[in-house]
Amino acid sequence: MEAKQSLRIAMVGRPNTGKSTLFNQLTGMNQKVSNYPGVTMERTSGLTKLAPGQLAEIIDLPGIYSLHPSSADEAVVMDSLLNVHEEGEVDVVIGVADGTNLKTCLFVFSQVLDLGIPAVLVITMADDMAHRGLVLDHAALGESLGCEVLIVNARTGEGMEAIQPAIIRAKASPHAPFFQPGGIHLQWLAALQEGDEYIYKTWLRSLSQPAHEAKIRESSRGPKRLRADEAIQRYRQVNRWLGSFLTSYPEQDRRFSTKVDRLLVHPLWGSVVLFGLLFVIFQALFYGSEGPMVAIDEMITSLSQSINAKLPGGFFTHMITHGLMPGITGVLMFVPQIAMLFGFIALLEESGYMSRVVFMMDRFMRPFGLSGKSVVPMISGTACAIPAIMSTRNMEDGRERWLAIAVTPFITCSARLPVYALIIGLVIPDMALMGINLRGLVLFGLYFLGFAAALAAAALLNRWKRSQVKVKVPDFLLEMPEYRWPQPRNVGMMIWRQTSSFVKEAGKIIVAISVILWFAASFGPDHAADFTQDRVSVPIEESYIGIAGQFIEPVMRPLGYDWKISVAILSSFVAREVFVGTMATLYSVGDEGIESIHATLASQINPETGEAFFSLPMGISLLLFYAFAMQCMSTLVVVARESRSWTLALTQFVLMSLFAYVVAWAAFVALS
Amino acid sequence: MNLSNLRIGQKAIVLEPEEGVSVKLFEMGCLPGEEIELLFVAPFRDPMCFRVQGTQISMRRSLAKRIPITRPHGS
Repeated sequence: MEAKQSLRIAMVGRPNTGKSTLFNQLTGMNQKVSNYPGVTMERTSGLTKLAPGQLAEIIDLPGIYSLHPSSADEAVVMDSLLNVHEEGEVDVVIGVADGTNLKTCLFVFSQVLDLGIPAVLVITMADDMAHRGLVLDHAALGESLGCEVLIVNARTGEGMEAIQPAIIRAKASPHAPFFQPGGIHLQWLAALQEGDEYIYKTWLRSLSQPAHEAKIRESSRGPKRLRADEAIQRYRQVNRWLGSFLTSYPEQDRRFSTKVDRLLVHPLWGSVVLFGLLFVIFQALFYGSEGPMVAIDEMITSLSQSINAKLPGGFFTHMITHGLMPGITGVLMFVPQIAMLFGFIALLEESGYMSRVVFMMDRFMRPFGLSGKSVVPMISGTACAIPAIMSTRNMEDGRERWLAIAVTPFITCSARLPVYALIIGLVIPDMALMGINLRGLVLFGLYFLGFAAALAAAALLNRWKRSQVKVKVPDFLLEMPEYRWPQPRNVGMMIWRQTSSFVKEAGKIIVAISVILWFAASFGPDHAADFTQDRVSVPIEESYIGIAGQFIEPVMRPLGYDWKISVAILSSFVAREVFVGTMATLYSVGDEGIESIHATLASQINPETGEAFFSLPMGISLLLFYAFAMQCMSTLVVVARESRSWTLALTQFVLMSLFAYVVAWAAFVALS
Repeated sequence: MNLSNLRIGQKAIVLEPEEGVSVKLFEMGCLPGEEIELLFVAPFRDPMCFRVQGTQISMRRSLAKRIPITRPHGS
């Protein structure tokens, strides 16, 4: 028997209506993240059981304030509902409305009904409604809307069991359209109508086709004015409904949001809370992830060792233990930080505080072409650029997201720290300047440089981008939702989705690059065929990477580096901290403790000058090079994946490295 | 008078905004004829957060200046 075509269900509603809580309740762990066709926007979908043996696909569409898109990312909602990309018609819409903010939620839902797609309205936050003293006659509202209206508490699951049967029963509402696009030639519109399509659907469809715009403009006051008329008409209608069906008992209102905000967005106390919180997040990412990261490292090392012991020596074992396993470590090492950061982000978003962070920081980020929304990636970047770049996903303004992705790698991440520590220890004297330790000052300066470079680059790129394409920056309009307790389930699902998509998608490329670099470090032109050895051990200067280091030495010479440092820089591409280990190998330091590396390096003599090889000019040059160069394959992969553009990733790589080169060279020349 | 002139806690009625103001403002519930209240402001009084039709909306000062209002009332 032919399998029954399963229903496609779309969830539509304003942001902060409990849409994701409802989605998580309906789908459980049956979720997958993919992309909407044509845009870099995540599409979360899942399966739900409507009746025994009948599964349906639910798509969690992004939160919108209106079906008319104000940004490219909001456009996916209209595109999905109108089936622009022919992914399949949406069979039923679940409209989600926050019971404490019905007015604006019903506005969006009335648009959905006018499309003629069968719909069910689910009103969430039943408990909050009771707290506010709000009583809704939902049966009567349903009568007027021409669809079923359910009141649920998505947090506890109360009333949820009624949703599935209502979806099966849902039929297109037979009502007259709540909005009639007036003032334009209806005959012209009717000519565009396909079959018995609802006129509002025709109207929306024709709006998104540039060919019709001139037509609309000449026969009416323009599409924008019509959109404004629509908003006015719809709100009038919504107010009539609520006037009849919603009763409010203000004496039962126990709202606390505004009181909380008096403290949390207070110019002084609000800033104290904000910086305290950012500090905690920073600390957690920095130190809290240390334990799990060490554990992961140790686990894989011991796994490597047992593989080494069990498998026969030779090419493949060596590849597994020195190429594959380090690559896997490289992927898994980021998991604790990614999980933590997204845990924090989920908590901030779920509670409603995120909008306040954006609100408070907006003014400070504006001169750089960014908004308050870029604060999170900027701060997270001090731990690691990877979760930071991933955190830009919630930005609606595509231009700002692009900027944030482009500049975040400048920020001093924790992988630069071991390199800085080694070089500062070598070339900066341990002395105090006006009571401040000079080494600490240099380190602080490097962090400052990272932020300065990121913001300056953002300002420059913004000017360039806006000279390229004349896009109107969308008006900054931000809803400040009521404070709510975060749902542990939603936080968990967020962490799970983000980490698993990182491991699955970026992970495979990182492992592949790691294996390639292993090959380059383990083999050389004269040793390539030597697979039979128990242990593959090519002197590093005879390996491909060693030869490459010697090859680029003339290029690195003006910066004061010899071939060994060139090799260390090349191998840093796996991850910056590899620099330290590579230096140890190159200078044949016996054990890898930082003190012995330090002692060995400090005793190196420059054959030309007879002085210490790691001189101040060379050290500063190296510090600056590491501050600005893009030397992290994992970041490169994540940039390419998040921006859907290898061009951006590679341009970023070339420009950052070029910039690092020039600055390092200038510093070396100036100080020598 | 425009929205940027409101003091915290003051209310006024929204009038027809200037040409070019995003329709999203309307769709979020900030419509001519509705009562609006300034709830709080960020450092440097920018952005500003208002309550209108039961929703809290924040916007930059530059946009608030383009939305005329009636004479404010309230504290």
